This record gives sequence, C-alpha cells and structure tokens, in this order.
Amino acid sequence: MDRQIDLDEADEEAAAVAARPARQGFLPIVTNWFDRVFVGIYLFVALELLWMRFLEQSIPLTVCHVLALALGVLIVWKG
Amino acid sequence: MRSNAVGWLLLAPTIVILAIFGIMPFVYVLYVAFHQWNPFGANPLMIYNNGDNFRRLVFDQEFLTSIAFTLKFAFFAVASEIVLGYLLAQLFMKEFPGKGFFRTIHTLPLIVAPIVVGSVWRLMTTPSIGIIPYLLKSWFGIDMNIGRDANVAFALTVIMDIWHWTPLVTLTLLAALVSLPKEPFEQAQIDGANRWQIFWHITLPMIRPAILATVFIRLMDALRTVDEVWMLTGGGPGAATRYVGLHIWKLVFPKTDYGYGSAVSVIVLYLTLVMCWLLYVGLVARRDQKRTA
Repeated sequence: MDRQIDLDEADEEAAAVAARPARQGFLPIVTNWFDRVFVGIYLFVALELLWMRFLEQSIPLTVCHVLALALGVLIVWKG
Repeated sequence: MRSNAVGWLLLAPTIVILAIFGIMPFVYVLYVAFHQWNPFGANPLMIYNNGDNFRRLVFDQEFLTSIAFTLKFAFFAVASEIVLGYLLAQLFMKEFPGKGFFRTIHTLPLIVAPIVVGSVWRLMTTPSIGIIPYLLKSWFGIDMNIGRDANVAFALTVIMDIWHWTPLVTLTLLAALVSLPKEPFEQAQIDGANRWQIFWHITLPMIRPAILATVFIRLMDALRTVDEVWMLTGGGPGAATRYVGLHIWKLVFPKTDYGYGSAVSVIVLYLTLVMCWLLYVGLVARRDQKRTA
C-alpha cells in the first residue's frame, strides 16, 4: 500500500455518507431510502395476502396491485 | 475521494459465496413459488400458476395452524432461553469452586447435532423405556405419554430447545457482561442504587445490543426448527407440534409439492424478516431516536 489510511477520517466520511439520506417522514422512525423500500415491500406482500384471503372474491386482485404500488411509492417518497 | 477498489476486492469472495449459496437459491425458490411443480407426479413440468400457491396458503388451515404453533413455540423457547441464559451468565461472572468445569459441561449441548438431540430426548421420553416417564410415574404418580397428550408434547419440544440452545445465549451474554466497564457500577453503588436499579438502569441498557442480537439469532432458528422436533414427536400427536418447518418438509419431501412448499417457505422468510424488523424498530430505532431528540 503506497499511502496510509486515516481511520478517523474514514469514520467521519462513512458517518456522513450514512447519515445524509436519513430523514423523518410520516413513518414513526428515522429512515433512509432502503428502509422505506423495505417497509414498502413488507406492506405490499401483507396487503396482497390479506386481499387474497378476504376480498378477492368480490374485488379483483388488480385493484390491490394498484393500491399496494401506490402505497409503496407514497412510503418511499414521503415516509 | 478514496479508491474503494481494494475494499471491493477483499469483499469479493464473500459476495460471490453469498450470491451463489444465498441469493441465487432464494431467487430460484421465489421463481418456483409461482409455479405448480411436482417433478415426480404425472406432469413433471413446471407450470406458471399466477400466484395460486399463495392463494392456496392463505386458506390452508394446516399451514395457518402450524404458523400459530410455531409462534407459540418460538415465544416460549426464546423468552425462557434469554432469561435462563442471563441468569447463568450472571452466575458465571462470580467465582465459585469448579466454575471452569461447570462452564464446560454447560456448553456441551451446543456441540450436539439437532437430530441427535431429538433422538436422545425421544429415548428419554418414550413411555415404555424412557427415564422421564418412569421417574414421573414412580415419584409423583404422573402418567406421561408424549404420543397422547398434545400439551406435554408441546412443552417437551420447548424444554428440549431450551436445553439445547440456552448455552449459546449464556455465552453471548457472558461475553457482553465481561466487556462492560466497571465505573458506572461503582458510581451507582456509591450513589446508593440497589441491585434491581443497577440491573434495570445500567446493566440492561448496556447489554441491550447483545440481547437483541441473541434474540434475532434464536428467533430465526426457532422459526425454522425441523430436525429436533421431527425426531422427538414427528409433528404429533395430531398436528400439535407440526411447526412450520416440519410442515414445509412434509409438503416438499413426502408430498413432493415443490411449488407450494416454496411458496410457504417464502412466506415464512417474510414473517421472520417482519418480526425481526419490528423487534429492531421497537427496541432499538425508536429508543435511539428518543435519545437523540
């Protein structure tokens, strides 16, 4: 290795990169974009399963796809 | 801007192994979950069925019951292991004669394979030859039959899991306790705090990350337990101990219903992730947020 790494500087840099995108939206915790995508996927799957169980006989699953996608976008955007 | 090439190079073997043995199988299971596939049936081809496997599982009473039993099992097993593990870790923090020997003996269950643990417990609990039914009968007059009483079978699977995995919790919490600084405890004693206050306000918050990591590991293990329970009870009596791992095994191997088995596996993974995330949010993220506010 031709140059030495300053660990303190590396830590500060990493903390700055990690901290920058975190924010407080309508979700009850501070999140970054990955957290919000994760929550969006959780809710997407839960909504689809519940819809299949209780509503699919009367309302087609396509409606659920649209609603779940909209909810996912809302969470990523404003969550 | 520092070059990350060396970092990526060092990470590459891990990423490649993770991709081959972790991510690719998961993607394949996800793919199979959307197909009807019974390779040993009349039609061995994989047929896309538009999510019918998921449609089937939300109405599958056996699956829903197995989920309920698994959650009950995981709750009792993990909670007992954490409490017992913490008490044993505190015991190992004190000096007493034969401490090293006892610590070694206590750790031995960890090195026994789960299938062997199941076999040993089956031998110990079989009504005609097992020592546990014999002692219960001769000492207390209790007639224990694991193949007949669902509650006894459930309790035994929990006790077996506790016996097998409490040492892991003890070792993890012992490592956390040993690494704690002495100053806060000395200050608390000078301030007149009693043992309960020291535990609640100092020890517990300081070992919280270790407890949480242990809960995650044990929860994930408990939710996918198969071999021990399969050996001890075979999922019975009835379906009283047919936990979800055992349910998946029965779907995939004896019934060779790979598509539906994959769908159930994906949902179990989903539930595990949700539970761990909720635990993380409830116990770490919100508390850290309050502290910084």
